[in-house]
Amino acid sequence: MTVHDVRSRQSDSKRGDSKRGDSKRGDASDGAIFAEAVGGRLSRVDGPAKITGAAKYAVEQQLDGLSHAVLVESTIAAGKVRSIDTAAAQASPGVLLVLTPDNGLRLNTATDWLGTPPPDIPYCPLARDVTFSGQHVAAVVAESFEQAVAAAALVKVAYDETPAIVDLDDPKAGDGIPIDTMTKEWGDAQAAFAAAPVRVCAAYNTPREYQTPMEPHGLIAHWQGDQLTVWEPSQWLDGMARTYAEWFGVPFENVRLVSPYIGGGFGSKAFAYGYGAVAAMAAKMLGRPVKLAVTRPQTFTAYGGRAATRQTVALGADAEGRIQSIVHRGVNETSVDGMWVEPLGSVTSIMYATPNFSSRQNVVRVNTVVPGALRAPGENPSAFGIESAIDELAYEVGIDPLEIRLRNYAEQDPEANKPWSTRQLREAFAAGAEAFGWSKRAPEPRSMRDGNQLIGWGVAAGTYPVRRAYGEAMVRILADGSVEVESSSIDMGQGTYTILAQTAAEVVGVPAENVVVKLGDSRYARAGVTGGSRLAGVMTGAVHKAATAALDQLVGLAISDPNSPFHALQANTLVVANGRIASPRGDGPEVSIAELLGSVGRSQIEAMGDTMPANSTADDRYKNYTTIATALSHTEGDYSRHSWCAHFIEVRVDEDFGTVRVSRVVSALDSGRLYNPKLAESQWKGGIIMGIGQALLEEGIVDRRHGRIVNNNLADYLIATNADIPDIEVISVGIPDPHSSALGGKGVGELGIVGVAPAIANAVFHATGKRVRDLPITLEKLI
Amino acid sequence: MTSKTRIPIQLQINGHLHELEVEPRVTLLDALRDHLGLTGTKKGCDQGQCGACTVHIDGQRVLACLTLAAQAEGRAITSIEGLADGDGTLHAVQAAFLEQDAFQCGYCTPGQILSAVACIREGHAGSDDEIREYMAGNLCRCGAYPHIVAAVRQAALEIASSMETAS
Repeated sequence: MTVHDVRSRQSDSKRGDSKRGDSKRGDASDGAIFAEAVGGRLSRVDGPAKITGAAKYAVEQQLDGLSHAVLVESTIAAGKVRSIDTAAAQASPGVLLVLTPDNGLRLNTATDWLGTPPPDIPYCPLARDVTFSGQHVAAVVAESFEQAVAAAALVKVAYDETPAIVDLDDPKAGDGIPIDTMTKEWGDAQAAFAAAPVRVCAAYNTPREYQTPMEPHGLIAHWQGDQLTVWEPSQWLDGMARTYAEWFGVPFENVRLVSPYIGGGFGSKAFAYGYGAVAAMAAKMLGRPVKLAVTRPQTFTAYGGRAATRQTVALGADAEGRIQSIVHRGVNETSVDGMWVEPLGSVTSIMYATPNFSSRQNVVRVNTVVPGALRAPGENPSAFGIESAIDELAYEVGIDPLEIRLRNYAEQDPEANKPWSTRQLREAFAAGAEAFGWSKRAPEPRSMRDGNQLIGWGVAAGTYPVRRAYGEAMVRILADGSVEVESSSIDMGQGTYTILAQTAAEVVGVPAENVVVKLGDSRYARAGVTGGSRLAGVMTGAVHKAATAALDQLVGLAISDPNSPFHALQANTLVVANGRIASPRGDGPEVSIAELLGSVGRSQIEAMGDTMPANSTADDRYKNYTTIATALSHTEGDYSRHSWCAHFIEVRVDEDFGTVRVSRVVSALDSGRLYNPKLAESQWKGGIIMGIGQALLEEGIVDRRHGRIVNNNLADYLIATNADIPDIEVISVGIPDPHSSALGGKGVGELGIVGVAPAIANAVFHATGKRVRDLPITLEKLI
Repeated sequence: MTSKTRIPIQLQINGHLHELEVEPRVTLLDALRDHLGLTGTKKGCDQGQCGACTVHIDGQRVLACLTLAAQAEGRAITSIEGLADGDGTLHAVQAAFLEQDAFQCGYCTPGQILSAVACIREGHAGSDDEIREYMAGNLCRCGAYPHIVAAVRQAALEIASSMETAS
């Protein structure tokens, strides 16, 4: 019997044991029954720590001799720092150090996340040349936080200001730089569009948007000799450790990143940023630990949110609404000296079948912090364009917005010309429409109302690629029979602690409560970036492999060790279930894992699971975990791999005031097999809720005189509150996808937001007859 | 810095009296987190906009970031660390948050829970819409709102039924 068989037997025995766990069914497609098996609805194992206040987040470590740093930011968007007067700050009580561009340590430029070798020039986290408002120009370190705040206000910076390009609408902005790698062309899109009997063409804009995780960024940096420990919320411990090591010219192994809990990231916590260099520099210069907590207003410029985007989508179709051509042009903003490409054609090129296609993209340099990743970078604004445009086409042709999507269903990836690994989008449309009651929709705009509220029903689809990578994990079976999983991957709320406990529990055959998962310390087994919805697939695969190897060792010992109670049995294999070992035939003894390890004199069993190719070198591994250079394409091999969803949304628009409220959401989603449906549903809903905020509320407002974000706080940059959100129904239509991950799952976290904003814009059009192509959909655009 | 800039204060937190010396400008939030190591109360904005720092003072929900530590002297402060029973039995709201998966990253959670306990006590958990309105001061970027509403609804029913049993 193979180990796989052992596992099946164990599952069978679990089903017969009514004492075990919660008997709620998991996702119907995965067949799991018990909460603690993979696919079960186990509650978060890190939950008790989070609801009692025991969970210590990174900057909450209490260290002796801790000092506090506060940043000083530029108040101009372009120019030079002429001088910095630090005298008053230096003389302020408790001040230990005032850092300026002139008195810091020389740092090296670090390798970027793609693995590009850095130029041999110094890295200056405090700027002399100012390229955006809110750039770090100085920092004050003091004994107490209050003293540092007070002294930072005394730092006087004089500037030589030059004209700035404040945003994409600035007349000086120009057309930008063509990004040739974003160009996608097949057929003759322009000619086919010109010849099409039905044509729609419109421009769709999204503003600057911000991640605003509830935990602001920050860190504690502590040097002991040439060893640096950094407690910092992180979506990528190994990548950030590499950056710190390269900045300070110390070996990678000398830097330890610790990030046991992360108060939300949404793409913003994957990299070490300038303030991290400032804090680590100050800690080195002072010889004592430094805490730097980025203030909420500073989080709007200490790193980048989603770039503002502009798209034009032209659809040419036949009289029945079958698309003949898609012509797409996109622009996103980037910074003066950094490059961020938000791939605006990513959904445009795969959602619908078309014989002719053209997509091109430019980036425009403006005086902003370099933009960054925000939940589904690329796919999110891309879907706003194409999923609005096809809705416009449906009205132009005169058919139902759901029907036009089915009529143009892409049976295979039209860009890669490969079959989908799995695409349950048709099932998503059907399940969502049924639960929502779409068939009762009156087609004409302004045809459904409730008193003075206009009611609109909109639909839109979403997708996100399956990003795959190699991973590793350590699994130990300890003397007391418990299991320990270690990985330097992280849990920022997706449920990593929980699903890895479920994976190890199922494989080894112990209750999930007997599994301890340790994450968020770069001393543990290595891990690549937690982003692009890749972690669950990568890490369940690695833990499955490690746990399988550990179980093999355990069973091997039990069969062959002369001191094992099973030695005389001469069995080929044994089963492990509920922490107990027995013969599959039921003959012979039954002992606990702890008893067996005791009898054979072992304190633990340890196995590393590693999914990298067998001939990988140490350099390959380093590259794999500290860059994204080794990530596997979602279209590599024979299939194109994506998760899919369909959102059905009802809005109510006040006819007099133009206020929009989302009153109902039904979304059907295909993320393949769900490792824990309870937690996956939470992430899907979280994405949908962020999408409601994006559609109706979120917009970074630029002061055109100073290039400053004026609403850089949580009262003025509006995100959805509890009162903005109705009940949300999510339906899983996924099936296990063996081409996407070891255990059959596809991405969960990014998917939910993709398509929400266009579904709302489409619903608003249905309610009001007004097509808003400029997010957010605020009342002045409707009255 | 000289001792003249510090003042002695006594804070009664979760039933225990703490004596500390702080600058008068120290907020209750920083006193809890940085001076007393009670880091369960979270700093999300430090300007009264997000609700992550919600604690109870004399049973009322209060933003610890907008309250000076000295203002809380002589009053009963409850933070998340003091909500469960002494024997570790979870408060009904805590248990409901876990069961309903009413959080993801966990950072807004202590504030949400303290707000929810007060929301129920204030009699503002009568309907889902009322819960949404009276919980709207606590932001959650992970988007756990529907599950927070479910947890508050569940806890309110449990608390009401246990009070009936008791009376």
